[in-house]
Amino acid sequence: MNINKLTVATRIPIGCTKYFSSIAQTELPASFVSEDEEYKSVSRDKSGLRQQHKNVLLETTPYNEAHSWIHLTEKYQRSLYGRYGGKSNVNPQICFGTITDRSETQKRQSITQPETVQQLLEKLRVSKAEKQAAIQERENGIQKKLEKLEQWKADLNAKVEKRRADAAAAIERKERLIEEVRRHFGFKVDARDERFKEMLEQKEKEDKRKQKEAKRKVKEDKMMAKLVKQSS
Amino acid sequence: MAHLRESSEKALKLLRTLPRVQIGNLRPNPNSKQNDKRGRAQHGGDKHGAGNKGSGQRQNFMRLGYETGNQPFYLRFPYEPYYKGHHMRRQYPPISMLQLQVLIDTDRIDASQPIDIATLCNSGLLSLKPAEMQYGFQLTDDGLDNFKAKINIEVQHASEAVIAAVERNGGVIRTAYYDPRSLHILANPKKWFAKGIPIPQRMLPPQDAAEYYTDAKNRGYLANPEEISKDRLVLAQKYGYVLPRIEDDADYEMLTAAKNARQLFHGLEPGWLINLVDKTIVKLKTT
Repeated sequence: MNINKLTVATRIPIGCTKYFSSIAQTELPASFVSEDEEYKSVSRDKSGLRQQHKNVLLETTPYNEAHSWIHLTEKYQRSLYGRYGGKSNVNPQICFGTITDRSETQKRQSITQPETVQQLLEKLRVSKAEKQAAIQERENGIQKKLEKLEQWKADLNAKVEKRRADAAAAIERKERLIEEVRRHFGFKVDARDERFKEMLEQKEKEDKRKQKEAKRKVKEDKMMAKLVKQSS
Repeated sequence: MAHLRESSEKALKLLRTLPRVQIGNLRPNPNSKQNDKRGRAQHGGDKHGAGNKGSGQRQNFMRLGYETGNQPFYLRFPYEPYYKGHHMRRQYPPISMLQLQVLIDTDRIDASQPIDIATLCNSGLLSLKPAEMQYGFQLTDDGLDNFKAKINIEVQHASEAVIAAVERNGGVIRTAYYDPRSLHILANPKKWFAKGIPIPQRMLPPQDAAEYYTDAKNRGYLANPEEISKDRLVLAQKYGYVLPRIEDDADYEMLTAAKNARQLFHGLEPGWLINLVDKTIVKLKTT
């Protein structure tokens, strides 16, 4: 607004200036102020802020006295001290709470954190050792079982071998008998033939008898050896 | 060769006359912009892409995961043990070594001082949300070859390679546990100091975290210092570098500065009241 006025004033045509200056030379109505009159500041605060908000802007406590029950709480007083420091006129003692408060917190802490660092470390060491011991025990058990593994393997192999040998011997015997029967007839006889079957049965019986005799002989020999041993 | 040079010159000549790739002659990706106007008639009018019948036309879409009468997929398997307790697990948001190096190079972090959570959060580029189960930072190995700073840093999780990278430069790394309340304080110390409460004690780690922080291999803050110094040498041999002697270092004091297991801030003890306005420390006089 001022600038506009100024420009208007400067745009006075040149012809007029003469006239203007002539007026200036004549008496102009003016008001005078005395030098020693005290200057009264005019309020230039147009913000419309409340005093407490202005105080916050100026980094001082918003209220000088409590305006609400909240301003009397410990929490608020503490935050006043925290935010405005010594200017807040709050005794920092309030920040530490009462002796009972402190003992309460200590009690709570003794419940939530009953262990010291040393105790924690000791507990950890014990649990770790226990875990390690369990692992060790299992490994030892496995080792002990594995010691017998070779024996078991040998036994199993022997068993399998024996079964195989027995089967082979049986097949071989059967073949031998068939061959003998064929030799008896002197020509090729079909295995399903009645004569062949009878002959085979006879041969088998004979074979069994022979085996039995051999067994008995072995037994007798053993007994004889025993008797000889006893008598001698 | 001559014809080659000729053709390359030709190509360069052509290139000079061609327009540069710049913001002025780039257009957005196709379909990246959605027109906020509903076209009429031949400009996409008629059904407006919504179809002829059903929920498409009526815009009453089925609820998420609903399969029109089937047992929905998200309800089909009642047992997902691999997610057990996942909402309770501790999270460690990552910072890479490259990020850390950049923070140091751009003066966001003062490497001549010990670095901890408060330093990282005060850099203004990193933040921590303890309420979302974030229990501090983990230093990851991205950009570890370019890491050149000599620092004394305290993080909550670090891999072996990262530890080796820090120690190779003559630095010190430590992993430390902070309980959520301590993390809340460290995430924004200025805000917390305005509350006017004395600094609390740091809690000890829970049983499942204690194992990590008592291990010298992780440079845990509860580990035996002798074991740590031994493991530093072991790691140097494993990764094949000569371990710089911290004892002879000019910054010996800074590099060996470490917090107590109960301490939150470097140089400030639990139980002290800090006032940032007056720049004072208020202690309770014990009688």
